Amino acid sequence: MLTFLLSRLLSTLTVIVGVITLVFLLIHIVPGDPIQVMLGETATLAAQDELRHQLGLDQPLLTQWWNAIWNLLHGNLGQSLHSKEPITDILAQRLPATIELAIAGLLVAIVIAFPFGSLAALRKDTAWDSGAMVFSLLGISIPHFWLGPLLILLFSLQLGWFPVSGHENVSSIVLPAITLGTALAAILARMVRATLLEVLNEDYIRTARAKGLRESTIIVHHALRNAALPIITILGLQLGALLGGAVITETVFAWPGIGQLTVEAIQNRDYPVVQACVLLISITYVIVNTFTDVVYAWLDPRVRYRD
Amino acid sequence: MAKNMTFPSNRLTLSWLLCIATLLSGCNPHDANMSSAQNQSVAVAKKPSHPNYLRIPFSGDVSTVDPAFAYELNQIEIVGQMFIALTSFDPNSYETLPELATNWQVSQDGTVYTFHLRKDAKWSSGETITAHDVVWAIKRNLAPETKSPNVVTLYIIKNGEAFNKGTLNQSTASSPSPPPHNKKKNEKQEKSASATQPQQPSAPSPSSQLGVRALDDYTVEFTLEHPAAYFPAIVSMWTYRPLPRKVIEQHGDQWTLPEYIQTSGPYTLKEWQKNYRLVLSKNPHYYRAEKVAISEVHYYIVPESTLGLAMYENNELDLIGGQVYLNLPQTDIPRISADPVLRQDLYVGPEFCTEWYGFNVQQPPFDKVLVRKAIAAAIDKQMLIDIVIKGAESPASTFTRPPVFGAVAPEEGIGILFNPTQAKAWLAEAGYPEGKDFPKMTLTFNFSEVRKEVAIAVKTMLKHYLNIDLELQPTDFDRYMAALGDHTTQIFRNGWCSDYPDANNWLYEVFHPTKGYNWIAWKNAEFAKQVELAQRVADPKERQRLYRRAEQILTQEEVAIVPLYFSNSQFLVKPWVKNWFNMAFGGQHIEDWALEN
Repeated sequence: MLTFLLSRLLSTLTVIVGVITLVFLLIHIVPGDPIQVMLGETATLAAQDELRHQLGLDQPLLTQWWNAIWNLLHGNLGQSLHSKEPITDILAQRLPATIELAIAGLLVAIVIAFPFGSLAALRKDTAWDSGAMVFSLLGISIPHFWLGPLLILLFSLQLGWFPVSGHENVSSIVLPAITLGTALAAILARMVRATLLEVLNEDYIRTARAKGLRESTIIVHHALRNAALPIITILGLQLGALLGGAVITETVFAWPGIGQLTVEAIQNRDYPVVQACVLLISITYVIVNTFTDVVYAWLDPRVRYRD
Repeated sequence: MAKNMTFPSNRLTLSWLLCIATLLSGCNPHDANMSSAQNQSVAVAKKPSHPNYLRIPFSGDVSTVDPAFAYELNQIEIVGQMFIALTSFDPNSYETLPELATNWQVSQDGTVYTFHLRKDAKWSSGETITAHDVVWAIKRNLAPETKSPNVVTLYIIKNGEAFNKGTLNQSTASSPSPPPHNKKKNEKQEKSASATQPQQPSAPSPSSQLGVRALDDYTVEFTLEHPAAYFPAIVSMWTYRPLPRKVIEQHGDQWTLPEYIQTSGPYTLKEWQKNYRLVLSKNPHYYRAEKVAISEVHYYIVPESTLGLAMYENNELDLIGGQVYLNLPQTDIPRISADPVLRQDLYVGPEFCTEWYGFNVQQPPFDKVLVRKAIAAAIDKQMLIDIVIKGAESPASTFTRPPVFGAVAPEEGIGILFNPTQAKAWLAEAGYPEGKDFPKMTLTFNFSEVRKEVAIAVKTMLKHYLNIDLELQPTDFDRYMAALGDHTTQIFRNGWCSDYPDANNWLYEVFHPTKGYNWIAWKNAEFAKQVELAQRVADPKERQRLYRRAEQILTQEEVAIVPLYFSNSQFLVKPWVKNWFNMAFGGQHIEDWALEN
């Protein structure tokens, strides 16, 4: 297990350095002069030079790269061009709201996916199965920017159950969480159905039934537990997608998180903030994936032996 | 929270608009058949559930609440609720009224104003507000280190401009002027000042040469550069408001945080969650605190007006609309007007703002007046209002928005009117027949949905009528302001709103070639002479005549700008908000409003 952990840690660090390098290079991939892109063509040369110096873009590329790594290691992401605040402070203000929303979205996905997926598997080739799969298809197909307003229309303006926007109490998070979690719920439901169907055909399930165990015990203790491994993998992978999806969901509901910050930063051409947001989402994605791998290996010893 | 509403197709329209809000802007013809008397109260049976605090949206985050740095409308709004001014305005007549100052006198030559302060005004800490707080605040805002974006409003004070530009009595190096933020620097300078003063008693420090001083704890005297009949109106501005010196010196640029701030107005800062919410609570030490009926005001940052409207409809906001409180989505105005419930909440009233496009007159081909005239005559402002704005705005051909003192009535016909035939002729005369060889020019504007739509419409009109191409350059506020200040624009958008109801605030402060913002980079001596004279003259009729001539030069002879439209605001106000009225140039009197239970 230790060897497995070390190898995973090493590969994670390599990926993180790769991500930092890619994000660092983004500014150099921008066609033309990135400073002009940030300031607009009408900016004076003095203003351009000042910003170039401020961002360290007047230094050799390798020095810039090393500075980027060094600053990151010291928690220094620079300063927002727009608000002049340290970017780490801005991220710290916004991150809790996004984490909150991502966790709520994940919960929504789990709460919807397991009953739907299980129902579809247990009632295979019935109307229940078809209904669950139609829901799944719809969930995957409906974009967040459409689902969000639809939920506002129904649950806020028509039924008056939840607020349109806000960040004050539990009811404020319900609609954003459903918006964010629905697509993941759909993916998970299909996954639960597929893995459960596979597991239900295994010999040990047949044995359990032959022993006269109750069907609910068989499903919960034997089938779902064994079906959980691939589902955990999907959950881990999709957490990154949740963070990405939060960009649109947060914009629709004016949720004060990283997603909305990213959109604002793009609108303001606040390049350092955009860079920091991309970096944060990417690194979170990498870390969550590593964590998923470790959990997977912990649950299934075959994984670490294969590695 | 069941809502007594049906589920008609208009809701679907809203949904559709919400869906595409970030992608597209709708463009439906609008029958501007709205009228609603401002300030009248409408009693409509509606769902009564609402909290006991006022909920208002802002379209963008509030980056500062320091009166020295307030520039954007939402910043000025917050400052207005928290810091008391020497004077205020009557909501109906816009006449200057006493506020912190109970009365004032002016010297015979019109250059010295003496304001007597009320003795019961206190800071939120309970300490008394004195004339020294007023003087200190003005000196702080004028100090070059402060870099106040509105410092030009203080230039009327004797030596104000020279002090701000560091050209006042430079031989006396020991400046005791209060630096804006840095406590250490402040202490150091105070020591330096006290150390040098005994040795050089005859050398007055620059700040002591400023035309503002406290005669005693409750009397402030202003000496002006020249007579200015409008000065009592000017002192209502946030740059003239007293500041809590001790707090600022102790906490530096952190002084506006809720845990440190001291305020003098009806409200104080309770909570400031950046990019989400700013909460003001009643200041118990405000001198009229017993009259303040609304205990808390919650300002929410709502970037999309469609989302704001949905929040209003779901009773999450008590008020929406106008320049400050998140413009109503124009595409929804027809629906609002037709909705039997919403239209009862709709109010239309004047807003002392003019939307205009300016030329950088130094930049070819806009250095030719004929080119500028051609462009001005090719813009159909009524069509902009009917098709793009879809609001209750009025077409403008002059700059100062009536009924501000000094504004020219539209019936006088000053300015360039829409005339595409004449526009073509002027362009041909300028050397660009049918737009041939006309270089592609850039139109710079600070981004908003409406501004973008207006810019697209203007671009289309210029292409259609003159065959000239415009490239649109939307930008954020900071860069937009920097581009205007650096004169790096070609054509630019601007909107000017009254800080006080006098044309001096419009013509002199914006377009004076050397003493105004002068974003158009012109050097018109005759215009400068008119607006300078208008400052000095006491006779209202003569002042009107001078401003009329200035408007003629600006908008008709030189056509340095193209006024587009005079703003009107549309608001939706819940029936439980009582005593609500809209101050046309900002500074809403929330302290006089009430929430009905």
